[in-house]
Amino acid sequence: MAIQQADKLLKKHKDLHCAKVLKAIGMQRTGKQDEAFNLAQEVATLEPTDDNSLQALTILYREMHRPELVTKLYEAAVRKVPLSEEYHSHLFMAYARVGDYKKMQQAGMALYKIVPKNPYYFWSVMSLVMQAISAQDEKLAQTMFLPLAERMVEKMVKEEKIEAEAEVQLYFMILERLGKCVEALNMVRGPLGEKLTSELQSRENKCMMMYQRLQLWPECNALSYKLLLKNPDDWQFYLSYFDSLFHLMDMSWSPSEEGQHCVEGHVTTTVAEAVKFVVDRMAEEDKKDSRPLRGPYMACLELIHRLRQRGCPDDKELGDPLELMVQFFGKFGDKPCCITDLKIYLHLLPPEQHTQFRNRLEELVPLGEAGEDGFRFPGDTKALQRHLCVCQLSRALGLQHALDTEGKLSLIAQLKAHYHHGLRFRKSCLKTELQFSDMYCLMAAHVYIDLWTENGDENMLWQCLGLLEEGLSFSPSNAQFKLLLLLLFCRLGAFQPVVDLYSSLDAKHVQHDTIGYLLTRYAGSLGQFAAASQSCNFSLRFFHSNQKDTSEYIIQAYKYGAFEKIPEFIAFRTRLNQSLHFAQVRTERMLLDLYTEADITLSLEESVKAMGVCAEEEDIPWDNMRDNRDLTVLVSWDPKDRELTEEHRRLSLEEESVWLKVRSLTLRLLASLALLGHAPSPRNSDKTNENGVTTKSSTLQNLLSQLDQTLQTAARITEKQTKYPFLGPPSSRLASALSSGSCHCQASALRLSLTLQELETAGLDDSSELQSQICNTFKSIVVQLQEMLSRCKGEVLEMKDRRLKTQPSLLETLVFFLETVCVVLWVASYSANVLRPLKSSLQKKKKKKKDTCTPVVLCGFQEWTSGLQGVVTQALDHVKAQEAQLTTLKLAALTLEEGDQQTQECGFTRVAMDKVQSSYLGSLQELGDLLRKRADSLKSLKI
Amino acid sequence: FLSLNSNLDPLTETYGIPFYLQYLAHWPEYFIVAEAPGGELMGYIMGKAEGSVAREEWHGHVTALSVAPEFRRLGLAAKLMEMLEEISERKGGFFVDLFVRVSNQVAVNMYKQLGYSVYRTVIEYYSASNGEPDEDAYDMRKALSRDTEKKSIIPLPHPVRPEDIE
Repeated sequence: MAIQQADKLLKKHKDLHCAKVLKAIGMQRTGKQDEAFNLAQEVATLEPTDDNSLQALTILYREMHRPELVTKLYEAAVRKVPLSEEYHSHLFMAYARVGDYKKMQQAGMALYKIVPKNPYYFWSVMSLVMQAISAQDEKLAQTMFLPLAERMVEKMVKEEKIEAEAEVQLYFMILERLGKCVEALNMVRGPLGEKLTSELQSRENKCMMMYQRLQLWPECNALSYKLLLKNPDDWQFYLSYFDSLFHLMDMSWSPSEEGQHCVEGHVTTTVAEAVKFVVDRMAEEDKKDSRPLRGPYMACLELIHRLRQRGCPDDKELGDPLELMVQFFGKFGDKPCCITDLKIYLHLLPPEQHTQFRNRLEELVPLGEAGEDGFRFPGDTKALQRHLCVCQLSRALGLQHALDTEGKLSLIAQLKAHYHHGLRFRKSCLKTELQFSDMYCLMAAHVYIDLWTENGDENMLWQCLGLLEEGLSFSPSNAQFKLLLLLLFCRLGAFQPVVDLYSSLDAKHVQHDTIGYLLTRYAGSLGQFAAASQSCNFSLRFFHSNQKDTSEYIIQAYKYGAFEKIPEFIAFRTRLNQSLHFAQVRTERMLLDLYTEADITLSLEESVKAMGVCAEEEDIPWDNMRDNRDLTVLVSWDPKDRELTEEHRRLSLEEESVWLKVRSLTLRLLASLALLGHAPSPRNSDKTNENGVTTKSSTLQNLLSQLDQTLQTAARITEKQTKYPFLGPPSSRLASALSSGSCHCQASALRLSLTLQELETAGLDDSSELQSQICNTFKSIVVQLQEMLSRCKGEVLEMKDRRLKTQPSLLETLVFFLETVCVVLWVASYSANVLRPLKSSLQKKKKKKKDTCTPVVLCGFQEWTSGLQGVVTQALDHVKAQEAQLTTLKLAALTLEEGDQQTQECGFTRVAMDKVQSSYLGSLQELGDLLRKRADSLKSLKI
Repeated sequence: FLSLNSNLDPLTETYGIPFYLQYLAHWPEYFIVAEAPGGELMGYIMGKAEGSVAREEWHGHVTALSVAPEFRRLGLAAKLMEMLEEISERKGGFFVDLFVRVSNQVAVNMYKQLGYSVYRTVIEYYSASNGEPDEDAYDMRKALSRDTEKKSIIPLPHPVRPEDIE
């Protein structure tokens, strides 16, 4: 429609630029990329100067992701209309969009010369700062860009032209980056600092920052003191207050005889004074009628912690941590944050006090009379919260973990009873509202998991799933229930229910980066390829839009003078671009496409081309990889020694990176294999082509040796057998990939393509050694595949003694087997391409010579394909048998629990079991389908 | 400042990154985040200043206020609101306003306790997904010291439509 309208206009006015561009936009949006581009370029080369055309072209180029063309456009426009403020400003923004800071600096100055407005001048200054930030060479930043920026601002200061707060902030940024803290401090304290009014405590915060950088501990201490008097709940200032106090003590600082301690006022120099300060703050809170603040009470525990760290005996002055924590519980025990607050200070209690502590807390929980089942329940939600907090604390103290199996089972019974009892407190039946007692349910689930992981009793896991399903039925919006269910189903190898759970979490935007890992780790590995591809797409869509969006807001930040935000926005964008998860989904998505499509709907070569995979280059920032995963998204009250550590994080990132490397190398190897297949035979080509082939084979060679190295590293990593906390990151696929044998089989198949290339050059006549080498590899690949297949044998799901038993690892191995079959078949197809012309030229010769002997490699190939056919057929039979076995498995025959009371719970457990069963079936079906397609393509492999 | 956190709370709207970036670029001082001693994100408030000074409509607006479930019932929302009001005072605003779902009684009551009153009802301000009807909003206001006669908060007699508000 828009295109037609534009055409109509163009008929009347042949050269109306704007109409052409609008038409181009129409074309772009209807998918005619190339035509749109050509039409736009037609207008652009005329260097239009009317606003409409320029704006329309800007929109078009932005949609085409060609922001660099916008700069060209406005460069021409300002050349023709040199005094236009508007075009100059568009030019500046165009440079900002591509991040050309140097040009931005010039454009800003040019603007200021036409229209001497302060913002333009400071755009230019900020662009200098950005050049400094982005400079590879820190020296250049420190000796050139920043000093120049400083001088530019100083000039304005001298001429008394500083107007806006933003300008002062920028000045501060420059001084700070130059390390000129004294100057920065004087500036903030001086008349310019008076402009810093928008942000709360802006001056104080900036001063504090500089005091800390300059190690001006007296000032730092006095300012913290002052700010704490004003707001005794501002935690950061307790930290700086204590920090500075200890620094002062270490340097035995004392105030000069007369007058003030320092510009900021009174300085605390002794522990006794600090103790008194904290005690006074608590006393103030105690006196208040309104609700007390947590800050002072936590500060008291923090001070004890720090004094103990220093081996200072004065911590006694503050009281016994046990009493203080009991007191804290008395005041804040009915708040959900009580556990989070106290958890950090539990280490102040010696182990022998743990039980005593719990008992003391229990005394403070008002519970009703014991009922028939012996449990005492809270009468309202505040009492419930207190009781829950005691449970959480005893878990965090390790008291739950110390129980034996029987103890844990009765704990579960107790938690479940409290959970069910607490359901009565729900006020509304809004779907979005959570139950007050949900956390009991979650904790019971954790104890079930403890039992499962300790004793390997899978029954505990099924009951856990049932309980969580029940919880979800009462609280359909509880994200923690969903996350834990999601994790458990993944561990069970059942991906189908996971898809729904994840989408019901309604993860948005950045969450695809922070929690997407929960999904993508298991998606492909469990044989649910369609779902896997979909989950990669969730994440990819977010990453791609981020790249585009951020630039626009960087430009806005310039417009509004939010200079401090510009480096933050850029750092944020970089952080997302360098995300481990982003690189993973990018790679996995392409591999998935190849495994499911290549040589089925499209040839390998076409697929590789369509994806734009490049064998020579890669776009993964190995050295700057950012781990944005939120590894603590699942709530845990585990004691410190069972929590996720920094070391875990490091190992997990290492493991994931190596696995990503393996995957990315596999992808690139496949890309170069696809190119090899296309290379013209060197026999009938000239030298340049031969060179072409050599480059390709050297790429292949290079990638193969990288793969070997990576696999060696991988072996070293998996030897460590790192175990992460259950609620932490899942282990990568690395270990199972190695033990399944898939990595090595794939590597030897890919290596074969190199040998085949040699054969292609050598010909069939004098290459018997090469040929027998190739034949041996053929045989060995079949043997390897056979071995892999034998590792897949077994029952994924079976009933033993009326109990359900799963072996999800079989599914994972089967997926590796399938992936390897794909790789082998692509190599086989390449082999056929190499051997076919050799064979036909041989046949021509044969006719002349009447030679009856067939070269070894040709027979070998025939044997190979039939060998492969055999393995694939066996695999298909295995999958079929598994499917049949699963379908006949009647879960209804299982007895789950004795007694009638549990029937409802059993119902939920059955639901979970059905989900697992049907997911396994789905995986097997998808795997079977793909195997069948691969088997068909194998049939057509003839030479 | 920009933290990557998992806001999975069903009651809280999670906005797109562009939305946050827009506010950070334009009104950075109106974006306040509260962090707990353990490093957890307790809550945040995000707002802006807008309106004509000449017509005495220059004011602070609360765009989003969110407190993580485990840090509720601590008075954190009140504290964050107080800070936003303070910033609006400094900017010489006449009042602070906010929109809230008519059905969100808990929030409406909290804002009333903090001194806000319903200025007008905006019909079908919240467009609903999945077939449910659109929901009305209360436009609630609290006068700042510059509005000495508290003219800005005199309730309107009739509800308005979203397209009629500025």
